[in-house]
Amino acid sequence: MNKRLFSAICGTVLVSSIFSACGGGNTSAPASNGGNETTAANASASTSSAGFKRISDIDTASLKGTSITLYTHGGNRVLGEEKKDENGNTYRDESYAYLKHLAEKFESEYGVHVDLQINSTEDDIRPLLQTKDPGIDIYTSPNWSIEEWQQYAIPYCTLDEAKELYGDYASTMYNDGKNVYALMPAKTYNNAVVYNEETIKKVGYDAIPTTQAEFENLCQALRDAGIDPIAMHRVENWPLSTINDFANYVAGSNDAYPSMLKSDEPFSESHPMGKTIRMYTDWKSRGFFEADTYTDFGVAMDVVGNGKAGMMLFGAWVVPQIQGRCPEGTDPSVIKFAPAPDFGKGQYVMAAAADSYAISQGCDNVDAARLFIEYISESPEYLSDSGYIAMKKGVDPIVPDLYKLIDDAVAAGTCKVLYSYATDENSINNENVLSEANLLADVKYAGNLFDALDVTKDPDWSAYDAQVEKQNKAYVEAREDLGVSWQ
Amino acid sequence: MIYESTLYKVIRYVFLVLASIFVLVPLIPLVFMAFKTGEEYSSTSVLTPPSNWFNFYNFGYALRVGHLIKAFLTTAVILVISLAIQILFTCMVSYVLHRFDFRGKKVVQTAFTLTMFIPVVATQTLVFRMMHAVKLVNTMWSVIILYAGVGIIGIYIMLNLLDNVTKEIDEAAWIDGASFQYTFWAIVFPLMRPACTTLLIIQGIALYNDFYIPNLYLNSNVQTFTVALYKFYGSMSTPFEIVSAAILIGMIPILIVFITLQKYIYNGIAAGAVKM
Repeated sequence: MNKRLFSAICGTVLVSSIFSACGGGNTSAPASNGGNETTAANASASTSSAGFKRISDIDTASLKGTSITLYTHGGNRVLGEEKKDENGNTYRDESYAYLKHLAEKFESEYGVHVDLQINSTEDDIRPLLQTKDPGIDIYTSPNWSIEEWQQYAIPYCTLDEAKELYGDYASTMYNDGKNVYALMPAKTYNNAVVYNEETIKKVGYDAIPTTQAEFENLCQALRDAGIDPIAMHRVENWPLSTINDFANYVAGSNDAYPSMLKSDEPFSESHPMGKTIRMYTDWKSRGFFEADTYTDFGVAMDVVGNGKAGMMLFGAWVVPQIQGRCPEGTDPSVIKFAPAPDFGKGQYVMAAAADSYAISQGCDNVDAARLFIEYISESPEYLSDSGYIAMKKGVDPIVPDLYKLIDDAVAAGTCKVLYSYATDENSINNENVLSEANLLADVKYAGNLFDALDVTKDPDWSAYDAQVEKQNKAYVEAREDLGVSWQ
Repeated sequence: MIYESTLYKVIRYVFLVLASIFVLVPLIPLVFMAFKTGEEYSSTSVLTPPSNWFNFYNFGYALRVGHLIKAFLTTAVILVISLAIQILFTCMVSYVLHRFDFRGKKVVQTAFTLTMFIPVVATQTLVFRMMHAVKLVNTMWSVIILYAGVGIIGIYIMLNLLDNVTKEIDEAAWIDGASFQYTFWAIVFPLMRPACTTLLIIQGIALYNDFYIPNLYLNSNVQTFTVALYKFYGSMSTPFEIVSAAILIGMIPILIVFITLQKYIYNGIAAGAVKM
């Protein structure tokens, strides 16, 4: 072989290796389109009136031997709860792996295998959803915008179909007013007070007080006893979003968040949102939140379980997890769930649909995916173990013990239930305004204020007040720029 | 003989000690945490030594629950195949670019150089779609193919070495009747071994530690060590004492490679040093 020929071959190899990538892209286009066509067909079938199928409408025999993949961020329901053995070492208690057990039961009944995958964050699954990868069939829902739901999920059913089976709770599922994108088969109480009964007994309280003043006295008593009153886990941003529910309790209505649109000073004390953020910040200045940083939320739950902290201000979902983390030999039922105190407008608790499951647009086994989600909706024990209450029409719910205190208060008329505000134009517009004002991501609208107060010195609220002014101004400007107002 | 002043010696030692502290201090809490119980981890400072230095529970748990052995094997297969392909192709490409003139050579050289200025992340949406289209996502071949690509750094290392391998050797072989392939395989390629070692070390360590590509392309059924490590991180909680033990386990292969190949590493880096 001569030099010219050898060079030509090598050159061809080099150039073809560069173009082979383009060729791959070109030849892949029909395949990709084909995939989309299939997906579009699935989506189309699912949105038609015959698309939403109940278990009785699905040809389950034809699904035998197939499999689906479910991605979930709730690793504890797949691997089991993280606990400590008698030597203090960490292990997973598989008896808490409720989703794994449910998937096994489902496979034994219908012959459909459910491959459970755990994602640490929602960003882990985004590339698969963007490419409509058939490797992801069902995913538990991240906190995404409606646009992203429309982009990645097959409409599960219409809002009317969901209302027929789930009543008013259907409006609190992820929907765009027409279609529901993630089925939420259970109901729950959102953020209230999750506490360790044994811990508050140490400072002379049998229950969470019903007034703000008494509640703050309890927090002070815990602080004086060297116990962190409230484990918040501020090192991450998402725990601050609980402020939204507490703002509703302060307002005595469910629209504290969207009603920011009505105000020119949503972060001042004249608005429930501003008043609530200030209340949280005041609690911070009085040492009611943890003095040390918890490295992760698991540690925050641990300290409530082992009595080093008194309580958390989270939803019912956290109760089974803390109970699972109680030290060996202690009774997990000491972890209780109570309504938030009366902040001036009465005692309230937020109720909403819970535990969501969406079908990916890349799903190539939609019937099996639907079958499993419907199976979940008709498994009251699984939902109860997870801390929720089944609510599908015709399904007998099992109410977890953790709801007793709140249910008793509601029955006695001392606590009223507020249903979560349904996604509407106002809530979407408020979100857009906050985003435009650069206050939405990482719950900055609360976090920037909460962090503005330097508690290492004598509380000086001037920096906080300046931040309030700054945020009010940014909010109003953004609202005007977008040209939106309360409808 | 060069004489050092006492002041110079003192300054040199101070800097070396500071540099050592800078490198070693982060490792101390890591070692402490790996031997602590979960209870100890959440109740003591990271700088507090463990109460029992013989608590190997976390190491066993990490290996068992994190499927680290399987992850190591997957990583090894990916590295062996991709590095073999990459080094071979890098040698071939460099040899052609160094020894032969052909139409479009400048274009090819420029194309390779341009890749230096394009961040990996910038092209990943397109590359991911391509891998997805050929159904390689969630298979180790996606990672192998991406790792096997020829990089400009490797070409520079090889070109630098080839500057020191005189062209007369090739010509002598051709006069004796050797073909171009034989000349490359039997004569030039063996002489490129020091640079190959350098590339093997640089790329081997980089790929072993890479997280972005395997996390993007592989699910939990096929995962490299870094991805297996990441799977300990939960959305709510992370058992850092277990993660610390897993990290220490992950350092073992690198230490073994370093200790066994120490001589080649130093020689290789010196021989394949890039003149920029």
